[in-house]
Amino acid sequence: MEIGPEQETQIVRKAQTGDRVALSQLVSIYTNRIYHLALRLTGNEQDAEDVLQETFLIMIKKIKQFQMKSSFYTWLYRIAVNVGLRRLKTKPFKYQHVSIDDPDIERISSMEAQEWPVIDYDRISKKKFRKKLDSAIEQLPEIYRTVFILRDLHELSTEDTAKILNITPSNAKIRLMRARNFLKDHLENLVKAEAMI
Amino acid sequence: MKCDPKLIDKVCDYLGGDLNSEPCQIIKEHMEKCHNCEIFIDKIKKTVEIYQKAESCDCVPENVTRNLFLKLNLCEPKNSERSQ
Repeated sequence: MEIGPEQETQIVRKAQTGDRVALSQLVSIYTNRIYHLALRLTGNEQDAEDVLQETFLIMIKKIKQFQMKSSFYTWLYRIAVNVGLRRLKTKPFKYQHVSIDDPDIERISSMEAQEWPVIDYDRISKKKFRKKLDSAIEQLPEIYRTVFILRDLHELSTEDTAKILNITPSNAKIRLMRARNFLKDHLENLVKAEAMI
Repeated sequence: MKCDPKLIDKVCDYLGGDLNSEPCQIIKEHMEKCHNCEIFIDKIKKTVEIYQKAESCDCVPENVTRNLFLKLNLCEPKNSERSQ
């Protein structure tokens, strides 16, 4: 469901008066995005559902406090990210610590780079391949994972991502670059191991 | 060829930015001369593309939406009243 910013502002104002229809509309508009944000952040469906429910419970409780100084979605995303991160803290980390480095441009420039062949998009939706993609995201420490999810999967701007995570835009860019580089390396290994692309 | 170390910050800045935007002139010129950097940046772009494609295959399970509206004690809007 896509609506324009003005229409959304009207719905938010109505919701702030306790209008149940407006609240339902907001929930409906953002269910898909918040669920997928939670799913990528927590890595499992049960936690994602819990995060989804808690996020909207908080939204309903606190919507009167939203002052329209930022866009509604950055406010809601911030709630969802905080709920998701809190949940992650209660879980043991599934993977061993991984080192997240900057791309080594010197090395890249001097090695013989091999191009990837054309991407076979049909294989991406296959469960086995999908699992491997997801596991790479889960291996990213959360400070990188959150930026990758917001910037690349939800296609938010660097500025909005920085606002949601309470970091500077340049910090968001550095984290994103490292996350992308890590996932690229992971995918490269997958390509080599299984010749999947 | 080897990359000019002065360019490394700019390449890194580009890698953390909007990959769909027109690369800044300096990166564009560099990529024309440095095939390895061009391939590297292309792989980063493809990685993002693959993850975005995988993400777009997903829907929210119906029971998740149903449970959510029940939990919130709200009625799920019908299609016709979703944005009214």
